[in-house]
Amino acid sequence: MAQVAIKKRKGILGALAFVAVAIGLFWSLVIAPPDAYQGDVQRIMYLHLPSILTAYLSYFLVFIGSGMYLWKREKRDDLLAHSAAEIGVLFTALTIIEGSIWGRPTWGVWWTWDARLTLTAILLLIYVGYLMLRSLIEDENRAASAAAVLGIIGFLDIPLIHMSVYWWRTLHQPPSILRPDKAPWENVHPAMLTALAISFVGFLLLYFYLLSMRYRLGEMREEIRARRLDRGA
Amino acid sequence: MSAWGFVSLAYGIVWGSILVYLILLKRRYASTAADLDALRSTEATSSDAKK
Repeated sequence: MAQVAIKKRKGILGALAFVAVAIGLFWSLVIAPPDAYQGDVQRIMYLHLPSILTAYLSYFLVFIGSGMYLWKREKRDDLLAHSAAEIGVLFTALTIIEGSIWGRPTWGVWWTWDARLTLTAILLLIYVGYLMLRSLIEDENRAASAAAVLGIIGFLDIPLIHMSVYWWRTLHQPPSILRPDKAPWENVHPAMLTALAISFVGFLLLYFYLLSMRYRLGEMREEIRARRLDRGA
Repeated sequence: MSAWGFVSLAYGIVWGSILVYLILLKRRYASTAADLDALRSTEATSSDAKK
């Protein structure tokens, strides 16, 4: 009975994510006006900003799950951290690719060793390392503990990424949305802000759909492992 | 490449990658669920046989 309810909830979440993503795409590509300076290339930002915010959320969950695991030693916390890290890596890699495609017509280069770009690449490497570490250490508990420490340390890179545009002279422009001195609607055209908001909601719903599936996959693997151990004993 | 060319490239890569990840995740999920079901039914059969 509980399994059916979970499946139903997951189905509803998947359907909502699909609808939000479809509306977000329509708004981003059709309704939102082109940028006065960048033209249509700016539409890449409707992917770029939601993907990096989704990646940050993912690493925040890794941070929480890792901290909780080190404190309470409960498998479900480690499972949450592991699931969130895998999806976070996907969204970080996509953020870097989108930024690179946007950078070529805007800055004239696919990549530059700018502080924000470099720190984001380091963030990706840290969490790829997190996933590799888990698969390299055979003892599951040791792997989970080592990964938890890396998951917490890796999260410290996110404030550095955010502040990098203020602390160093960078090619990457300062934030347009998360600015301390101005509200987003004072700085961005309402149609652009709406496109961004809908796109972000779509990414969030999709993220939680993927996370719920990845988490359940981890739970099932854990159950298989426990049953096999019981049979062996 | 035109502005829309860059936009299409970005949107294509992003949604293509997410779709591939979703398909791979669903496959892993289905195969693990099948393994778990098989294990459960084997255990149920062996416990019935013991009775």
